[in-house]
Amino acid sequence: MNNQIAIEIKGLTKFYGPVQALQVVDLEVRRGEIFGFLGPNGAGKTSTIRCLLDLIHPNGGEIRVLGINPQADPVAVRVRVGYLPGELRLLENMTGEGVLRYLNGLRGMKADWGFVHRMGERLDIDLREPIRNLSHGNKQKIGVVQALMHRPELLLLDEPTIGLDPLMQHEVLRLISEAQGEGTTVFFSSHIMSEVQAIAGRVAMIRKGEIVEVAEPSNLINRALRRVQVRLREPVDITPLSSLPGVTLLSRDDKTVLFQVAGEINGLIKALAPFPVSDLETERPSLEEIFLALYQDERKEE
Amino acid sequence: MLTVILHTMRRFRGQIIGWGIGLALYAAFLSSFYDTIAKQSEQFEKLLQNYPQEIFAFFGGTTNLVTPEGYLTLEFFSYMPIIIGIFAVLAGSGLLASDEENGTMDLVLAHPISRSGLFLGRLLALLVATMAILAVNWLGFLVAMNWSSLDIGLVEMARPFLSLFAILMLFGSLALFLSMVLPSRRSAAMISGVLMVASFFITSLARLDKSLEDIARLSPMNYYQSGEAIKVLNNDWFLGLLAAAGVFVLASWWLFQRRDIRVGGEGGWRLPSFTSRLRFGPFPKTRAT
Repeated sequence: MNNQIAIEIKGLTKFYGPVQALQVVDLEVRRGEIFGFLGPNGAGKTSTIRCLLDLIHPNGGEIRVLGINPQADPVAVRVRVGYLPGELRLLENMTGEGVLRYLNGLRGMKADWGFVHRMGERLDIDLREPIRNLSHGNKQKIGVVQALMHRPELLLLDEPTIGLDPLMQHEVLRLISEAQGEGTTVFFSSHIMSEVQAIAGRVAMIRKGEIVEVAEPSNLINRALRRVQVRLREPVDITPLSSLPGVTLLSRDDKTVLFQVAGEINGLIKALAPFPVSDLETERPSLEEIFLALYQDERKEE
Repeated sequence: MLTVILHTMRRFRGQIIGWGIGLALYAAFLSSFYDTIAKQSEQFEKLLQNYPQEIFAFFGGTTNLVTPEGYLTLEFFSYMPIIIGIFAVLAGSGLLASDEENGTMDLVLAHPISRSGLFLGRLLALLVATMAILAVNWLGFLVAMNWSSLDIGLVEMARPFLSLFAILMLFGSLALFLSMVLPSRRSAAMISGVLMVASFFITSLARLDKSLEDIARLSPMNYYQSGEAIKVLNNDWFLGLLAAAGVFVLASWWLFQRRDIRVGGEGGWRLPSFTSRLRFGPFPKTRAT
């Protein structure tokens, strides 16, 4: 087993009764990296993460987390891992601090309590408030704190920014990046491309229980279709631009033209230089568009 | 595991106080009322003779209100398995399943605690909570007896509570086992409750109809001694009930080891799989069907 690998998954399969949630998942996450796990709802992200902690038992395949088989020794894995569930439920009749102290007790009091309070301040949560009085977003913040509070070697985060406002999403992503800076490996699932792109070094895309692609986020985005809207100061005929490789004209009126670009937009921008452009807007490709681009590639290969 | 025990005990705290103090006060009331019974024993005997025997069959089968064991059987211990059984069945069925249904177990089991550790911690907390309720109840009798002619020693008074503890453990562990097999905590509590009441009825009816005695031998309540244990505890029955509870506990533990932890809500009903993968063996290469 390679010491540089934090998570190694080979041929992982999982059935829920007759339903196959994971087909054959193969994945490697290197130590110290932030690894994004992208996929639409029901693709198998949560099932994969829960297999890593032995919360559910795989039906086949091999898993090693920090070199340990979680099915054989789940406690040894959990000691070194911080986990944020996708559907976080906390004990409603306890305060935020009560929940954190209880979970810290399960960890043998390993948390750095000063760090807990600093995170609480950064995420703007009142730990004295009973959980039942907290909004979904504030409960999610408690979830983030409990995952990080013992400074784990590996963070398994299932949709960590779900329910958070943009400012807090940014703060949570900063906390994750800081953890990585201290040597923590981060494996996090998401269905939001922008947050994966913001912090992940590599990303795996999963669809219907199968890994479709493992790549750097920028590579995926560059291969996706994106829309580029060009506003002109005066009506000019720029339709010849649609003959550029990968560029398709979608619509146009007097001063606005909408292109669809496959891959990098560098060629289009250079070709626009002689035209009187007043504004240019690119629409970030959605997860669906990236998937679409990947499937188109697959079909071409077939 | 200590954290699990303490946390679970905190969850049981309200029930220990409620059940314990409530029943202790009732015990005190019964102890004081015994003096009245003892003073007017002849009138009560005559009164009871006019009652249909069917009634007494459901209250331990005794009509002797004057002896301490007869009085406590009729007025208290005969129906206590059903009363405190409500606690045992609800606590047993919810011991693990309620955390699964409200979705909190996912996070707890992601911490460095084994499934066996969590199971054992919860189970110990249930044992301690049940013992605490019975101990407060026992204490209630002992304190109240200072102002009553009901004169029973510490050990003698503890014996029926031991018998009660054993029957409660049996139905509590049955509820725990059913919560591992059935799709929801509610259904596990309901079925264990029905079985508990059915057992009470079969045992009671067997006192009236001898033809039911064979069936009653299969009824756990048949081995509950009620107030009769004040005289002598039937160790075979006591240990037999605990052994049966132990079987349900072991089966529950085995199922919990093999269980996929639910994220929340009620699950789907399925038979426990006896062909599931070996937990600590090599990775299976076969797929489930």
